[in-house]
Amino acid sequence: MSSQPAAVIGIGQTKHKKRRDDVSLPGLVREAAQRALDDAELTWKDIDAVVLGKAPDPFEGVMMPELSMADALGANGKPMMRVHTAGSVGGSTALVATHLVQTGVHDRVLTVAYEKQAEGNAQWGLAGGRSGGMGAGGIFAPWMRSYIKQSGAPEDIGWKVAVKDRLNACKNPYAHLQLKDITIEAVKESPVIWDPIHFHESCPSSDGAVAMVLTNEKGAKKAPRKPAWVLATAMRSELGVFPGRNNVRPQAGVECAHMIYDQAGITNPREQIDMAELYVPFSWYEPMWLEGHDIAGPGEGWQMVADGSTEIDGSFPVNASGGVLSTNPIGASGMIRFAEAALQVRGEAGEHQVKDAHVALAQAYGGSAQYFAMWLVGDELDAVAKKK
Amino acid sequence: MAESQAADLNAPVVGMDYHMHVQYHEVLCPVMREFADALMDKRLIGHKCPQCGLIYSPPKGYCPICVVPTDKSHELELQQRGTVTNYTIVTPVQYHGQEETDRFAKASLQLDGGGTLSLQDLLEIPVDDVRIGLRVEAVWASDAERNVDEVTNRSWGIGESAIRGWQPTGEPDVPADELPTNVF
Repeated sequence: MSSQPAAVIGIGQTKHKKRRDDVSLPGLVREAAQRALDDAELTWKDIDAVVLGKAPDPFEGVMMPELSMADALGANGKPMMRVHTAGSVGGSTALVATHLVQTGVHDRVLTVAYEKQAEGNAQWGLAGGRSGGMGAGGIFAPWMRSYIKQSGAPEDIGWKVAVKDRLNACKNPYAHLQLKDITIEAVKESPVIWDPIHFHESCPSSDGAVAMVLTNEKGAKKAPRKPAWVLATAMRSELGVFPGRNNVRPQAGVECAHMIYDQAGITNPREQIDMAELYVPFSWYEPMWLEGHDIAGPGEGWQMVADGSTEIDGSFPVNASGGVLSTNPIGASGMIRFAEAALQVRGEAGEHQVKDAHVALAQAYGGSAQYFAMWLVGDELDAVAKKK
Repeated sequence: MAESQAADLNAPVVGMDYHMHVQYHEVLCPVMREFADALMDKRLIGHKCPQCGLIYSPPKGYCPICVVPTDKSHELELQQRGTVTNYTIVTPVQYHGQEETDRFAKASLQLDGGGTLSLQDLLEIPVDDVRIGLRVEAVWASDAERNVDEVTNRSWGIGESAIRGWQPTGEPDVPADELPTNVF
């Protein structure tokens, strides 16, 4: 397949918060987009097309917002596309933008993802407005129990992930939760919301947006700051419910990860990837994805948590940004993973920068853990080869 | 805009709650129509894949794994008794329209003779006694109350308006190691 390289040359995000009453929906997305343009030292005129993503429309009750937001995103008279893949949408949206560059359709693409959860109610939306809704946590809780049962992991693994991500978030000025005093004890003592998941093991509801500017090799060479090169992209999905489905290790997630490794020439992800931003809205999903994406062997994911490997200064840092556990504007959450991975390989993550991050993996999942989107980014196009 | 209002442009934005309601009428696809009609007759039906033997309830009209179509000839009636294979206990969030105030259980079931159901309500058992291996049976809504309004083309389960939930049979639990681990 002939395809040209694509790179991230601009990244912008809002300060994620419980409520952003000071801005409208268009104001929120424009804030992130303007910051991405500023970062790339480009103007609205330089953009050829806009790709927008968000979680299902009933979350805010504003249907087909891509139509009314065209103006705020400078897309009047330009191609604009909306992507829908539930919780993984932020990742898929970035991938659609990347593919528009890689295939030579456009030179510079702005991609934006957002959610303004305070303007609606995600649980109401997920329940279709009916009583008895159980939220996403209710769907995932039995599978986390299955993982715990199958792997024999001690119960404090979930608490450890919750503390690690919240302390990482304190190093990230854009992160929503800033819980500098959080402790294992506090997580353990917090109420059980979806048995076996405690309140502090769950993501918050956030208002926020994130944006990136993607361009080709020519555009990247002219960029004012170091580009993050897209080394591999993959999207996979499977049916969310069927008898005998492996809910703990969905096949679509396994195949999505291997598609990335194959494209980038990675044979040992744990050694050849320097850090990962994984979509972990509930603490147990960190070890589940480490195993579900073959970064760790069966039953070894929780051991990476236990021995501190996934800490920001560990051998395989996961969610140095604080992750979805600290910031969850649902539609944006996937793209924040992608943007944070890009920030890391650009060396611009500030206080939460991982040392020597040359190759970074970002992943987003959605639906009943059935939609997957991933990219691998590097500080150079041959970043993986250079590590050998 | 009147001048007096324009002068207030710097005033703080004030929000208000607005509960939108849009009623959709969804036409059920043929297999979901058959499933809904069976529920009204207090029958639970599924389709068995002729290739892999998996039973889908509600039926899909195809097996998505083998990618083969299924039809009325693959229909079978499922037993209304089974075993809890997994569960969660939900602390309800009080969103608009939420009527649940106390913790409630949602369970995945393996039905006797084959077939699985997800997100089922458990009745007549305290939530703290819910466990894997528990034997349960269907409790149907009365003839007067029973309806299939909650059955949609995207349904995962059965609405509470048809089967109210599942109650313990009183039989001994099935040992966990005799149950499949990957049942939804």
